[in-house]
Amino acid sequence: MAAALSSMASMVGWKATNRTETFTSRRRYNNGFSVRGQQQVQESTSLQQEEVKEDKPVKKGATEPRPVEPQTNVESKNMGREYGGQWLSSTTRHVRIFAAYIDPETCAFDQTQMDKLTLILDPTDEFVWTTETCTMVYSYFQELVDHYEGAPLTEYTLRLIGSDIEHYIRKLLYEGKIQYNMNARVLNFSMGKPRIGFNYNEYQLEDVNQ
Amino acid sequence: MQGHLSAWLVKHGLIHRSLGFDYQGIETLQIKPGDWHSIAVILYVYGYNYLRSQCAYDVAPGGLLASVYHLTRIEYGVDQPEEVCIKVFASRRDPRIPSVFWVWKSVDFQERESYDMLGISYDNHPRLKRILMPESWIGWPLRKDYIAPNFYEIQDAH
Repeated sequence: MAAALSSMASMVGWKATNRTETFTSRRRYNNGFSVRGQQQVQESTSLQQEEVKEDKPVKKGATEPRPVEPQTNVESKNMGREYGGQWLSSTTRHVRIFAAYIDPETCAFDQTQMDKLTLILDPTDEFVWTTETCTMVYSYFQELVDHYEGAPLTEYTLRLIGSDIEHYIRKLLYEGKIQYNMNARVLNFSMGKPRIGFNYNEYQLEDVNQ
Repeated sequence: MQGHLSAWLVKHGLIHRSLGFDYQGIETLQIKPGDWHSIAVILYVYGYNYLRSQCAYDVAPGGLLASVYHLTRIEYGVDQPEEVCIKVFASRRDPRIPSVFWVWKSVDFQERESYDMLGISYDNHPRLKRILMPESWIGWPLRKDYIAPNFYEIQDAH
């Protein structure tokens, strides 16, 4: 796996029914990056205008997610035994990252497109997500993908990214931005039991630089 | 305070350093990494045909890495077999120790584990790669200066 991570990312789809979001990042190619990047940004904004418009109140300085365009007629590829029968992923309960393109509707797993990272956010539906909080997680994912650009595309790197997103989700939970979904199928409060009068900032260690 | 084997090695002009005896009275010797392969062959010829265990540890933060071999001489009709403990120290910067896989085959997985946990690279080992950690892992987990990555674990649930 000599491939490297890259910086273009994009939201592919949104299934409001079961809150499964797919989110893709694209590797930067050396040739024609700027042209391709601009095209993608335009396409993605045109495709997902209603979401992007709604998400303006995201805090300033956050990285804008840069979605790739949704693809049609995606087929599951390179999943057979002759290709190793496995995939590059980092899967924890709320964050599943795959180095492949996954169709948000049919869940076809195209592993030929390993230049994209797909994020499936909270498939077990443990939290109540809004478009705004989803976009916060997506922009954080974009920021991490930008940060790890050039790192080797291995499970270790994906796990670093996925763990950072999990910690970010826990931070959102502690700050009260997201809540537990009381109608979840498994209600075991995997990020801590709900507490009353809990202040997240009191439990933070002071940063050395501050 | 010199053991039997140490005296025998001195008699044959083999460089080593005696580290005394452990709590069971087993002789402990230190051997340089450069001499280790030839001395391992000599010890095998001498009669140590059984490698009881191989392990490795980090001596001190910023210090040396040690690879430890426990050898036993198995013979018929002996109820107190001869034993010896060999320690080979390697620098943390470039830890290279010759593998004794071609002398005692049973050291295969143990040396791979030592490589995995402490990053000691054993020369001439046939398949030296990580055995416990995933192959894409970065860092050597049992070194004293290892900082564990802040991975999200299921144990975080409480």
